[in-house]
Amino acid sequence: MRKKVKAVPEWLNSPIWSTPPPATAPADPFGTDFSRPLAPPPEPPPSVPPPPTYEQAVGSYAGRERETREEEGAGAALRAHLLADFKSALSKKTVNMGELRRLACLGVPDGGNDIRPLVWKLLLGYLPTERSLWPYELEKKRSQYSAYKDEFLLNPSEKLRRIEESKLSRKKELNGEKHGLLPRLEVTNEEHPLSSGKSSLWNKYFQESEILEQIDRDVKRTHPDISFFSAKSNQESLRRILIIYSRLNPSVRYVQGMNEVLAPLFYVLSNDPDESNSASAEADTFFCFVELISGFKNNYCKHLDNSRVGIRSTLSKLSQLLKKHDEELWRHMEVITKVFPQYYAFRWITLLLTMEFSFNVCIHIWDAILGDPEGPPDTLLRICCAMLILVRKRLLVGDFTANIQLLQHYPQTNIDHLLHIANRLRGTVAS
Amino acid sequence: MVLVLALGDLHIPHRAPDLPAKFKSMLVPGKIQHIICTGNLCIKEIHDYLKSLCPDLHITRGEYDEDARYPETKTVTIGQFKLGLCHGHQVVPWGDLDSLAMLQRQLDVDILVTGHTHQFKAYKHEGGVVINPGSATGAYSSITYDVNPSFVLMDIDGLRVVVYVYELIDGEVKVDKIDFKKTATMHG
Repeated sequence: MRKKVKAVPEWLNSPIWSTPPPATAPADPFGTDFSRPLAPPPEPPPSVPPPPTYEQAVGSYAGRERETREEEGAGAALRAHLLADFKSALSKKTVNMGELRRLACLGVPDGGNDIRPLVWKLLLGYLPTERSLWPYELEKKRSQYSAYKDEFLLNPSEKLRRIEESKLSRKKELNGEKHGLLPRLEVTNEEHPLSSGKSSLWNKYFQESEILEQIDRDVKRTHPDISFFSAKSNQESLRRILIIYSRLNPSVRYVQGMNEVLAPLFYVLSNDPDESNSASAEADTFFCFVELISGFKNNYCKHLDNSRVGIRSTLSKLSQLLKKHDEELWRHMEVITKVFPQYYAFRWITLLLTMEFSFNVCIHIWDAILGDPEGPPDTLLRICCAMLILVRKRLLVGDFTANIQLLQHYPQTNIDHLLHIANRLRGTVAS
Repeated sequence: MVLVLALGDLHIPHRAPDLPAKFKSMLVPGKIQHIICTGNLCIKEIHDYLKSLCPDLHITRGEYDEDARYPETKTVTIGQFKLGLCHGHQVVPWGDLDSLAMLQRQLDVDILVTGHTHQFKAYKHEGGVVINPGSATGAYSSITYDVNPSFVLMDIDGLRVVVYVYELIDGEVKVDKIDFKKTATMHG
């Protein structure tokens, strides 16, 4: 007996996904009540000029040039309003996270680049909601990072020298005698450079040199087109963060691509107008990176690849999500053209979309990924699903090659649409 | 942190067939940045083997080396230190520390590495430090048959050098270390 194929929901067939946005697109997608059935698409625009949309409020994506001067004026007002909302939410004695998340999902507006570092630090839980605790927390975390640097970044030569210097109870004059045979000291614990002893600092150092080389290579080729990342000091910071992370997390170590996930975080936090913050950007970024990656850690563990929690399982969750919301597209992709998620979504997920969009666009998407109350992993999956749905018309007529080409070089798109669709898929990821 | 391997007087194949197995298992490529060799390898195969451990190889000529093109002396600057290399059969009396000190002043180096006596030595005088890594194979010398295989690994870290001495005594590898710093009073 043939199973009835679920019909494509009305809203997916709406003309708004393939034509420029009409001015009457829904004004506030976040605030709607999701228990109600999805409303039918809006009527064609009336003759009276409509109120400005939220797209205009967060502005600056494709389609902007089509706005009239009147709408632009209104858009600027809305942007200023949104910025004011952010500033008021951030200046409270105890930050209301629900409110902040709601605002973050609308996106930090243009001109709000100086509040983004603070917003991200709060969203990632680096700063507590209680404003008065901020100086204490920052001090604590930053000095912890200094301790990590001392422990994990010294080579064996330097480490042994420090140990010896601390052991000497009085200053031993090494160059005391002018002449004579130099005194020999026995080497204990197999602590010499050619040692293969398990506990030898030297041995451990050489075993990890491969990872260090990989990190070095990747850091040097992170965003070569952006001058910020060509600066030696910034590259050094990225290097140090990744090395310390790899030493603290032996189960994951370093996986190629982590540098790409680290880059936007470091960039945003380094461009904090507050000098005391931008100077400690490296330490702050480290902890934010740890927090962000923790939700995705299982995707990077090689030995978890085929388990219930590894990358394969994440990719199949994406399949399920697509099947649930757009069975026609799912069937065309996975049954007919055999375009499975591992061919295109692997990079989307492990790099958190940093390579699919331009740097600035990516930062705007991350506002939503970090801000969404469902958490980064689920939000990311919904956005990936939305990316597929947004180009469904092209995918449905494409074969294997055309579709892979399209998805591996995802076309420039209106981010507001993308996030809007991702919103509509809410509450459906959990298997 | 720069690792420099100093060895010599192997006399392969005339007096010894190969390096001791325990030494060979420790000497792997990738760890050492420079090799300085006092001479008397004596054949090309050993040259190639050393080259495989580290591409930056410096050799001076010993009296039994088959390749006549090695220089009599050589100087290398590594980090803050100037190292001098010479086989040592040219310096008479052999192994005499004052004569070696003269050579060191002539070469104007902080550390002079020489061989020929097949006996490890690390000696300090006001011109600098003289190191003899001994014979890496334990080959007999012109002076004695009682030779323990030995070589030296220097860890140059800024103005400080830690010299690790590897000796094969009664079949076991024994490692000692010697610490010294370069100061303004030292030559160079």
